[in-house]
Amino acid sequence: MGELLGNLGVGFLNALGPLNFLMIVAGLAIGIVAGALPGITMLNAIVLVLPFTYLMGIVPALLLMIGVYCGGVFGGSITGILFNIPGDPMNVPTTWEGYRLNRQGKTQYALGLAIMSSAFGGLVSALFLAFFAPPFAKFALGFSTVEFFSVVVFGLASVSVLGQHSMAAALVSLFTGMFLGTIGTEAQYGVERFVFDVPFLKTGVDFVTVLIGLFAIGEVLDQIAGTAEPAAHVNTRAVPRLPLLDLWPLRWPLARGTAVGIAVGGLAGAGATVSSFVSYGLEKQISKEPERFGTGHAGGLVASESSVNGSTGGAMIHLLTLGIPGSAATAVMMGAFLIHGIQPGPLLFTKQPEQVYTIVAGMVLANVVMIALGFVAALSFATLMKVPAAILNTFIVVFCFIGAFALRNDMADVWLTMLFGVAGFFMRRWDLPIPPLVMGIILGPMAEGYFLTSMVANGNDLTVFATRPVSAIVLALAVALLVWPVAKRMRRRTT
Amino acid sequence: MAAPLAGVIVAIGLLFASRGLDTVSAPGQLGPSFWPRLVLAGLVIACLAKAVEARRARGRGAADAAPPAARARLATAIALVVLYVALAPLLGFPLTTALFIAGFLVLGGAGRPLMLAANSFAGTVALLYLFVKLVYLPLPKGGGPFETFTLALYRALRIF
Repeated sequence: MGELLGNLGVGFLNALGPLNFLMIVAGLAIGIVAGALPGITMLNAIVLVLPFTYLMGIVPALLLMIGVYCGGVFGGSITGILFNIPGDPMNVPTTWEGYRLNRQGKTQYALGLAIMSSAFGGLVSALFLAFFAPPFAKFALGFSTVEFFSVVVFGLASVSVLGQHSMAAALVSLFTGMFLGTIGTEAQYGVERFVFDVPFLKTGVDFVTVLIGLFAIGEVLDQIAGTAEPAAHVNTRAVPRLPLLDLWPLRWPLARGTAVGIAVGGLAGAGATVSSFVSYGLEKQISKEPERFGTGHAGGLVASESSVNGSTGGAMIHLLTLGIPGSAATAVMMGAFLIHGIQPGPLLFTKQPEQVYTIVAGMVLANVVMIALGFVAALSFATLMKVPAAILNTFIVVFCFIGAFALRNDMADVWLTMLFGVAGFFMRRWDLPIPPLVMGIILGPMAEGYFLTSMVANGNDLTVFATRPVSAIVLALAVALLVWPVAKRMRRRTT
Repeated sequence: MAAPLAGVIVAIGLLFASRGLDTVSAPGQLGPSFWPRLVLAGLVIACLAKAVEARRARGRGAADAAPPAARARLATAIALVVLYVALAPLLGFPLTTALFIAGFLVLGGAGRPLMLAANSFAGTVALLYLFVKLVYLPLPKGGGPFETFTLALYRALRIF
């Protein structure tokens, strides 16, 4: 322990060096802005800064990328809360609650909660990385696609808590999303599914087009048609406030979200998106007021937001201790390690502790600095709230055009985005919930991939999901998640 | 109730369309049609459940709670968005965007000429600097004379 604290101390001294600290701040700023722009993801930003790191030393290079990583996973929440446009799929659950709070005139509260819970989740996960990385990595390495499938099923099962008014409507929406996820060239056999000779469908329906269309364009059309929920109060002073006292009643959602983030982020391949959906679903299930979820529930926002940043430390565990990237973002970071001649893996902690602990300290600092930068960014974006609705709506459509086009430089994605925008408007009209569809298109392909790989590896033996202990427990929890609301409803009827 | 039943018909049609996928799977393997069929079967059941729910709600005389939509404004907005996307590859991003911004602002009730001009022109130029110059995004340049116009504009703005 003494040696670990000593290494961590040296790491902090190094990370606080002028160049290293500057890299953290620059990375955070780039990450927050990139995360907030729809179509430009945190991953795009990490890839874009990679060439700039060639001439740097490994430590400033990685601190820059860590800054982008931590800032990027948070940035999408700002536009989600303010304009109902999640910057990344991982920010979707935050948007569900944050945008509702914004419409109720609680913009400052929502932004403040998002910043503080993101920073808390990221900070705790960075400390977890510092103290428990090697044993956790050893434990998580025993997991296979069987366990990953179970975790994704758990995420999908949380649709039971999203179908507030009608479970049937939520399931229609979920299965539609899952079907959209099957369109395109299938990965295992290379077969085109449901393409119907339409060239652009060969590469599938990108979930970002669905996301931008359903949320942003749908909302704009809703406002134009005069059917949108009226804003309770136009907040002209949307400066986020520091909600330290507000966080105390939300300490349990915060703790649960962070724990889910670290645990799910620690599973190589699961990542922040799965963790945000899982923690949101879990929180609603545990909550004493589940009916308030989707109407601006602070607990839901805090749980999903802390789990998103909580997953960053978890994903870094694999990279640093085993040399296995746990997500696409850490895969790019692994590239940076290799470019600088460093092989991440078990020996890294013993052979180059100074560099490793500087990176860990950098993660801790990034999450602290993110509070300040998050406030500045939220303030800058929030000033847009003062812009008249006509101008704001117009530029939202233009940004959606650019965001969709930027995915693959293809007008087909723009058409799809606008098509889903119109679909989003009518889904709202017909009371079909949008979140389950988004969940289906994001988690559906993951579930299929893990399921089929598990079947190939285990000779089509379905019992493998019940005989592996972690998978069995997670699946049992998923079943409980589905059965619990029905049981509760039945009990209510009998009483 | 018509919409859920239409969903059932579409899902069954897609199940039918998935037959061709079986040809590639080897015996004893689940094949590429297994997962979509599972999902479509789920969709059929969910749509049927929704139809039953809608029928019961109609039996109870539940009213549609959705507020009435301003249909003309909505149709115009959708038409403007469709025109924007359709014309961008022909006229180029800068010209189409400037026209779209002006049109959508008028629809939104912000029709003062100065505001229209400022937002159309300054907004388009700012977007070009941000996404073409800084992010190197190859936004549509248009065809024929419109491509020449877009390139001339880029040169005038020193974008390239």
